[in-house]
Amino acid sequence: MTAFQYPELDETLYRETLENGLTVLVVPKKGFTKKLAYFVTDYGSIHTDFRLDGKEYHAPAGVAHFLEHKIFDLPGDRDVSAEFAALGAIVNAFTSYDMTAYYFSCTDHFDECLKLLLEFVSIPYFTEESVEKERGIIDQEIGMNEDSPDSVVFDRLMEAMYAVHPIRVPILGTSKTIREITPEVLYTCHRAFYTPGNMLLCVIGDVDPEAVADDARLVLGSEKKEVGVKLCPWQENMTCLTPEVEGSMEVAMPTFNLAFKCEPLTGGDAAVRQEMVADLAAEALFGESSELYLRLYEEGIIDSSFGGGFETVDGCAMLLCSGDSDDPRAVREALLRQAEKIAAEGLQENAFLRMKRSALGRRIRGLDSFDSTCFRLCAYHFSDFDYFRFPEIYRSIGSEEIRAFLDRTVRAERCSLSVIYPVNKEASL
Amino acid sequence: MIETKTLLPGVTLRCCRENRFKQGCLSFQLVRPMTKGESARNALIPAVLLRGTKRCSDLRAITEHLDELYGASVSPLVRRVGDYQTTGLYCGFMDDRFALPGDQVLAPMIRFLEEILLDFPTEGGGFLPAFVESEKKNLISTIESELNDKRAYAMGKLLKTMCRADTFGLPRLGETEDVAAIDPVSLLRHYRTILRESPIEIFYAGSASAGAVAAYLSPLLSRLDRSCGKLAPQTPFTTCPGQDATETMEVSQGKLCMGFVTPVTNRDPEFPAMQVLNTIFGAGMTSKLFLNVRERLSLCYSVGSSYYGTKGIITVSAGIDFDKERLTKEEILRQLDACRRGEISEEELNAGKEAILSSLRSTHDSPGAIEGYYATAALSGMNLTPESYMAAVECVNAAQVVAAARTVTLHSTYFLKGESQ
Repeated sequence: MTAFQYPELDETLYRETLENGLTVLVVPKKGFTKKLAYFVTDYGSIHTDFRLDGKEYHAPAGVAHFLEHKIFDLPGDRDVSAEFAALGAIVNAFTSYDMTAYYFSCTDHFDECLKLLLEFVSIPYFTEESVEKERGIIDQEIGMNEDSPDSVVFDRLMEAMYAVHPIRVPILGTSKTIREITPEVLYTCHRAFYTPGNMLLCVIGDVDPEAVADDARLVLGSEKKEVGVKLCPWQENMTCLTPEVEGSMEVAMPTFNLAFKCEPLTGGDAAVRQEMVADLAAEALFGESSELYLRLYEEGIIDSSFGGGFETVDGCAMLLCSGDSDDPRAVREALLRQAEKIAAEGLQENAFLRMKRSALGRRIRGLDSFDSTCFRLCAYHFSDFDYFRFPEIYRSIGSEEIRAFLDRTVRAERCSLSVIYPVNKEASL
Repeated sequence: MIETKTLLPGVTLRCCRENRFKQGCLSFQLVRPMTKGESARNALIPAVLLRGTKRCSDLRAITEHLDELYGASVSPLVRRVGDYQTTGLYCGFMDDRFALPGDQVLAPMIRFLEEILLDFPTEGGGFLPAFVESEKKNLISTIESELNDKRAYAMGKLLKTMCRADTFGLPRLGETEDVAAIDPVSLLRHYRTILRESPIEIFYAGSASAGAVAAYLSPLLSRLDRSCGKLAPQTPFTTCPGQDATETMEVSQGKLCMGFVTPVTNRDPEFPAMQVLNTIFGAGMTSKLFLNVRERLSLCYSVGSSYYGTKGIITVSAGIDFDKERLTKEEILRQLDACRRGEISEEELNAGKEAILSSLRSTHDSPGAIEGYYATAALSGMNLTPESYMAAVECVNAAQVVAAARTVTLHSTYFLKGESQ
């Protein structure tokens, strides 16, 4: 494997792309007992349409998440969780809009755990009976989300903002769409996206990088298989579909999500730079050290639940904030006015430098968390960027970029507001 | 590993010196008995302190100062540890070695902590009324927002009912009406009292030595006028008649919570066996509850149990269809019965023990986890280091787990269901 040194961060990253197409990243951490491994596919809930072996497929919404649940089944009634547990490891998985990750953490038996992870994710095994049973469990998960104001307010916002991008459909799909999922659908999606060429193995802990790559070669073999071609014909207009949506639930006070549509990121350095610019812009506009945050907090329009940042998904991006407020529309108006002000006046240079120092410090602190570092390494890898290079990107960003970003993005037509009011207290539009 | 220093009577500094981390943390906790009379005030104090100091007169000035310290953070820290409530601040900050040449983070961080704790602005003998009023509103909103998370809400209702004779039934942050009644003058008077009389626990994890941390803290401590009292020791669960409650609300999924009691607490030799029992019974993806209630019967997506060692309480919660209440309850009790009857395989026992061992082994891998363990273990009366705890877990055998299961009895249940049913 090739070693890359980052003396400024006191980190070393080992990287290699194997013959079968799998990328392996290892961050050795001497002296730590915990070891964490992520086996990730560049495939999430939005990738329902794809081409494989010259044929086009249109899978039901929720299939990536359904597949994530069913991957844990192995032939011969083997119980993957129990096998990890016997090794003292905890295994889990998550599905996002654009990636699916399987991971375990352990302190001992790392080698056996890693082989087990690679094995169970790469072997599909689905039966009519087990798929039917899973439907019941996932239906309960959907029900749980329907009772969660945070999920509901966000899902409705996505539906209001996007006309065509599949982010407008919840990651889990709906009770209706998951009825269309069959073992055959799962096998096809697995064949399309769970091939080494579409995947990444990322390990953090006191491990030998070469041994990690050897395990991957051993379990996955050297054959390079065809990867499904994602069909992403999502031409989104920068104007939101609907400016406001509302509903009611059993909540204590109105809760809102508010976002401004941004241009989707491309890839490589430019994309990461764009993301860090957007993060700093969010900080300058409504972060805790901003003029606006202080004013809205002191006026009681927002409280400590308020927060937000830049969110990016394959094919779309947004500046998002959320919180509880008795007057979410006032938050929106204040954001629009403040962005106009910053666009006109620019940022003070010393305030901008302080913001950069703070953002950099927080990212360095974040490296102590194996989970967040592993997640970031994976997410950035799929956008062709090496995450540990973040300090140099920060240094190169100027305040003018922040001003220009806010000027372009924080505009009324790009904004949607989603509010959940307490039952019987809906405001009239 | 952990160096403990008594800096003043009743003021304990515990330090874990580690060079592996990129950040450090420091917590400052005043330890109080959990009472209805003061829990809301204790919960409010750190939020008011964080609104401004004499020098940094508002939130923005405070955040700017933290930004200068490389994005350090200071947040309110209000914990429940058995019969105690702690109130104070938690600081997280980048390690000095990543700062620009000549810059420091830890020393100015502790000076800033002193400023926040002691140099707050006052008016008419109280905290600033504007700060107090707006933080009261925030705290009330936080308390009431528990309703938004139906699982937490349902669990809160269960614990309130089953612990109505015990301090464990008091909400950690107090209740709305207690917060509403607070005024700036009495709040400051209360703060001065607890600063003088409470045991103080300070915990630091990071690259500095205990001596250096003590030296940085000494200007802060020299300004405290101390006359520290003693806290009553932790007590086990105080019982009362059990209750089965049902509440109706506009929800699409029901939340079933069951509360069990056991005489075994974290002060008892049977504690490690009880912890293993809880893991086998309901914690994690290999537990009996997960494998049967979720996987075998597809009754739910989420199901799990928790053991509160300070009190000897085990709770189970499950998100289910409204008409599956009886079926789920029966299955949960059947799984507990299986434990009582000794239906525990070698694999289950090992997996249960391994899960606990693995989590204890990695305690030393993050400053936050180190703080979380040591800053509460001693207060909870648990006399175990992660190492001695691990040794005890390793020795647990099936017979001890069965014996532990036989001490567990159902006390109360709570079911949240939809209006349409």
